Amino acid sequence: MAEHSGPDSGKHKANHANANSAALLHGRAGAGTGAGGLSGGLSQPAGWQSLLSFTILFLAWLAGFSSRLFAVIRFESIIHEFDPWFNYRSTHHLASHGFYEFLNWFDERAWYPLGRIVGGTVYPGLMVTAGLIHWILNMLNITVHIRDVCVFLAPVFSGLTAISTFLLTRELWNQGAGLLAACFIAIVPGYISRSVAGSFDNEGIAIFALQFTYYLWVKSVKTGSVFWTICCCLSYFYMVSAWGGYVFIINLIPLHVFVLLLMQRYSRRVYIAYSTFYIVGLILSMQIPFVGFQPIRTSEHMAAAGVFALLQAYAFLQYLRDRLTKQEFQTLFFLGVSLAAGIVFLSVIYLTYTGEWYAKIHIPIIASVSEHQPTTWVSFFFDLHILVCTFPAGLWFCIKNINDERVFVALYAISAVYFAGVMVRLMLTLTPVVCMLSAIAFSNVFEHYLGDDMKRENPPVEDSSDEDDKRNPGNLIVTMLMLMLLMMFAVHCTWVTSNAYSSPSVVLASYNHDGTRNILDDFREAYYWLRQNTDEHARVMSWWDYGYQIAGMANRTTLVDNNTWNNSHIALVGKAMSSNETAAYEIMRSLDVDYVLIIFGGVIGYSGDDINKFLWMVRIAEGEHPKDIRESDYFTPQGEFRVDKAGSPTLLNCLMYKMSYYRFGEMQLDFRTPPGFDRTRNAEIGNKDIKFKHLEEAFTSEHWLVRIYKVKKLDNRETLDHKPRVTNIVPKQKTAVLDL
Amino acid sequence: MWYLLLNQLYTMAGLAWRLLLCLGCALAAPDLVLEEAKRTVDLSTHLAKVSAELNLANPPGGAGPAGAFLLALEPGLEPRLAYLGVQVKGEEEEENTLEVRETKVKGKSGKFFTVKLPSPLVPGAKIRVSVEMVFTHVLQPYPTHITQAEKQFVVFEGNHYFYSPYPTKTQTTRVKLASRNIESYTKLGNPSRSEDMLEYGPFKDIPPYSQDTLKVHYENNSPFLTITSMTRVIEVSHWGNIAVEETVDLKHTGAVLKGPFSRYDYQRQPDSGISSVKSFKTILPAAAQDVYYRDEIGNISTSHLLILDDSVEMEIRPRFPLFGGWKTHYIIGYNLPSYEYLYNLGDQYALKMRFVDHVFDEQVTDSLTVKIILPEGAKNIHVDSPYEINRAADELHYTYLDTFGRPVIVAHKNNMVEQHIQDVVVHYTFNKILMLQEPLLVVGAFYILFFTVIIYVRLDFSITKDPAAEARMKVACITEQVLTLVNKRLGLYRHFDEAVNKYKQSRDISTLNSGKKTLETEHKVLTSEIASLQSKLKTEGSDLCDKVSEIQKLDSQVKELVLKSSVEAERLVAGKLKKDTYIENEKLHSNKRQELVTKIDNILDAL
Repeated sequence: MAEHSGPDSGKHKANHANANSAALLHGRAGAGTGAGGLSGGLSQPAGWQSLLSFTILFLAWLAGFSSRLFAVIRFESIIHEFDPWFNYRSTHHLASHGFYEFLNWFDERAWYPLGRIVGGTVYPGLMVTAGLIHWILNMLNITVHIRDVCVFLAPVFSGLTAISTFLLTRELWNQGAGLLAACFIAIVPGYISRSVAGSFDNEGIAIFALQFTYYLWVKSVKTGSVFWTICCCLSYFYMVSAWGGYVFIINLIPLHVFVLLLMQRYSRRVYIAYSTFYIVGLILSMQIPFVGFQPIRTSEHMAAAGVFALLQAYAFLQYLRDRLTKQEFQTLFFLGVSLAAGIVFLSVIYLTYTGEWYAKIHIPIIASVSEHQPTTWVSFFFDLHILVCTFPAGLWFCIKNINDERVFVALYAISAVYFAGVMVRLMLTLTPVVCMLSAIAFSNVFEHYLGDDMKRENPPVEDSSDEDDKRNPGNLIVTMLMLMLLMMFAVHCTWVTSNAYSSPSVVLASYNHDGTRNILDDFREAYYWLRQNTDEHARVMSWWDYGYQIAGMANRTTLVDNNTWNNSHIALVGKAMSSNETAAYEIMRSLDVDYVLIIFGGVIGYSGDDINKFLWMVRIAEGEHPKDIRESDYFTPQGEFRVDKAGSPTLLNCLMYKMSYYRFGEMQLDFRTPPGFDRTRNAEIGNKDIKFKHLEEAFTSEHWLVRIYKVKKLDNRETLDHKPRVTNIVPKQKTAVLDL
Repeated sequence: MWYLLLNQLYTMAGLAWRLLLCLGCALAAPDLVLEEAKRTVDLSTHLAKVSAELNLANPPGGAGPAGAFLLALEPGLEPRLAYLGVQVKGEEEEENTLEVRETKVKGKSGKFFTVKLPSPLVPGAKIRVSVEMVFTHVLQPYPTHITQAEKQFVVFEGNHYFYSPYPTKTQTTRVKLASRNIESYTKLGNPSRSEDMLEYGPFKDIPPYSQDTLKVHYENNSPFLTITSMTRVIEVSHWGNIAVEETVDLKHTGAVLKGPFSRYDYQRQPDSGISSVKSFKTILPAAAQDVYYRDEIGNISTSHLLILDDSVEMEIRPRFPLFGGWKTHYIIGYNLPSYEYLYNLGDQYALKMRFVDHVFDEQVTDSLTVKIILPEGAKNIHVDSPYEINRAADELHYTYLDTFGRPVIVAHKNNMVEQHIQDVVVHYTFNKILMLQEPLLVVGAFYILFFTVIIYVRLDFSITKDPAAEARMKVACITEQVLTLVNKRLGLYRHFDEAVNKYKQSRDISTLNSGKKTLETEHKVLTSEIASLQSKLKTEGSDLCDKVSEIQKLDSQVKELVLKSSVEAERLVAGKLKKDTYIENEKLHSNKRQELVTKIDNILDAL
């Protein structure tokens, strides 16, 4: 009889468990409806729920923030890699010269002799955000250096991303899934890879803007309120100012609207939301100087315009249909119009992406960047771990219980998967949606199994206790398994973050046998030498990879940099590097080069050096100067790229080779290898007798990683190879000649 | 406190000294005689350190007692003088530093100093004083440009004689060089040469102001490091910390490197780049903590810290070796506990810190700026310096939690050497109440933050009233009450069940009856409450009202069942019912009841 207690205590438990687990796993109170929080109406449990949500979000933020600090703790608070150095430099300019100066900034230190209009060729969102934070902190007399603001910006924004992901997932599914999604995105490596401390790049803040825009979009489609749509537009504006990836938004949202139309889910809410978004968003996006008139000119924005027109037509027809009676004609007309619009829309999309593809495949400078390569299956698992397996389940749940906003997330998922497959870099746009959908899948599983547990306590049948015991372990096992998976996910995330994504790449570290660490600080050594001991206006030629770092750390004028906007200029540098010394000297003279900087990894076995990149230089140079440079010249007759004696003579005498291996032939690294043994390519170099005529070694860093050469000025007069001709002309005559 | 007093005495003494000086100028009789002058010129580093032992005599039959004497500097060297110190050796071999003051002598160029003697020199008396002078940038590299493989040679130009306004009876000059490798040297009076030492003299009866150029050209590979400019910021916090940060611009001022720098030669040949500087040692105070060494582009990873008993030794390696003409720039900073340097008596505070600290041995600082940031609210600032410094106008500095700014003392001094590492004392008053300002500021800020959140959450800021939402909220409130009441009511049945069970065991009818009674009364109360809430819901016009009435209906059925089962239990106990029929009935009842309860649950869920 005691089982009669079931209903009461069960209910009580359920209430409390609701408070706890609703926040965590299943949100019964807010299921499906946006206004769930209010109408759920359980004031005390709601308080608990919001406290728990708050705590979980805060912890997610904290976890996300701290797991991004590996590099700062291991090394120091420093800007990483290449592009961040440019962003840092511009932010520094913004912080010290003010906003208007920044917008009008003409950088004469880049792309010599062309220069670069920085204000008009960057997405200023990142710099303005960091500058604003710095300004506010300094207003409050919190004297933080702009560098620290830049270093810690991305980790801080990862917390905001977690919160906006939470909001978006809550709109799509329920609060529990939202919290799971927030926890996922806080630590998932796919996102951490772009947002560790020190990685001061557009993506760091753009993912937040992306998620937040999507949240506001879903909110505006749900409510059909102009308020939310305007918020969405503002967020979109921020996104446009932050990252070129805004194109993803301006295509996905129209796609969503289009599919809604196809699915006969047109409503006034959609009409209001999209019309407002398109017009206000368009105008706002055109305020960014770099974007300018692109939204009404280029093909990748045309889909949005097409859908806008289609929506107007559709709405107009709807209006007419209410007024007129000729039903068949109406439907026919509608079908015709929507088909036409659809075809236009699809063809625009097709042209856009095929156009982009063309660029990706056929311009070597884009193909030469490793992050523009297609993604491998391994890296999907590496970056997303278990989420990549569970997110199709989440997608299935969404499609099974379809509504307007779940259409959106389905489209988001499908398009992001496609883009991530095309380019490693775009893994970043896939990560948030994978987190959201996986969270939905996990949340559903937990809801099912943990929820059943509670229900099962209810049956008050006397002898049901045995059954309970039988079923509970099943639930328990599933739950435990899921928890194990999540735990392994967390471990994997931390491991990947720590090992793969937390190297500043400006500072290298090697470990001795006893575990002590050697820091190889060659890059900064050489850059700082340039900064301190060369003329302030000296021009440094290097391959474009190092342009931003030279500008940022050495503060010297560069010829080409990572903003690879001028292919022919880069090709010219490539040509200089791949020609012989005399030809190269001509080019360098014409470009006013004072110093040449190269990266050479042969001493320590650093594989990312210039010799390994050399073929790209040759290819890019060949693209512009096919007569002077031929890729085939740099291969052996067998088609191999070798630096040893068997290598092609063109290679062994080109400037890059000579600069890399100058005096390296005398150097014996250890007793097992001959002098001049290149550790990176495991070969003894083929040309040990390297002499320079027009260059001289200016600086070589401690581990030879960076070598800087000085380009000598022309001698006063060419010295003659032969003796001056002796003539028998009488001096008298000579003067006469001179008099003439 | 003791030295506060001392300090006052000191200033008073200073005043008195100034008065005396006027007399002293008159008293500095020109007719003193240098009996003997032994001079050593140490050129083994990049400095020229001249020390001279003077045997000063007031000849018998002189004009009277001399209170001070004059020191002179040749016109060529005078701008390069960094430090001048005069000491007198007393009978007990203790050394007294004498007061030195710059003066002018009519008709003579160069620099002149009057040195006050401890006691006036009466005619016929003698005194031994030792003079120490340090000159910077007097060793000129020659050749001025060298390659990496070459050694560095420098030229020194000085005076064979000890330049003095007094006639000298006998004098000698020793020149100490950095190496035995001497290109050339002037050979006045056939100097003797041994190892790295040149000895000139003795010269007899030299008239005043005699000059004769001494020139040495020799090899000197010692580090020619110069701090071209340095900013030293000392930030005092009354919370127990003094932060020191030095920004150093360093330059190798020896012969300039010409031609290539070859890393291969530098690594493989020991004497390649012999005059270059790879690293040097900076000695920090023993209590220094959290030392950092960095520049504009981050931490400089090539340094080592060694903590000794009486100091912290830092081996500083610039990012790259410094060759002639190369320069670098770095920032070094550390924290010190304030109890070692900050003294107070009530509101009177005194900070005693080194004006300049050690950077490397034989250091030369061309230009130094010291900024001492005192706590916010420090007043009556007064600086006592051991030597002359140029005070600039005070500044204000704003940092964490500052409102009206911290006073900053700014002082400059040029051309400094190791001998200038001396303490400077800053006196100020500070009201201790001000210590509370910062914590209160933080507390206040949090208070305001929480308060705004409270206000925001509690008050309704919407512009338009939304009656629907309000009604919804009201309904939500009522339904919640209903929920708790219904749960309570269901709880009553459980209590009653317990009573029935007890009754079954104890067969005591009174427990059953009392249980029944409580059930009845409480049930009535709860039901009526729910009914009243139901009517409220009705007035709100909510459709939940119907659901509540459904609950009420179901509940009455439940109650019936409960009562029925209790009656059956009574009958069982009374023996009017067989046990198996009872059990069967009971099962039936419980199933029915379960059904009803789940129905209620479902409705509750829907609420």
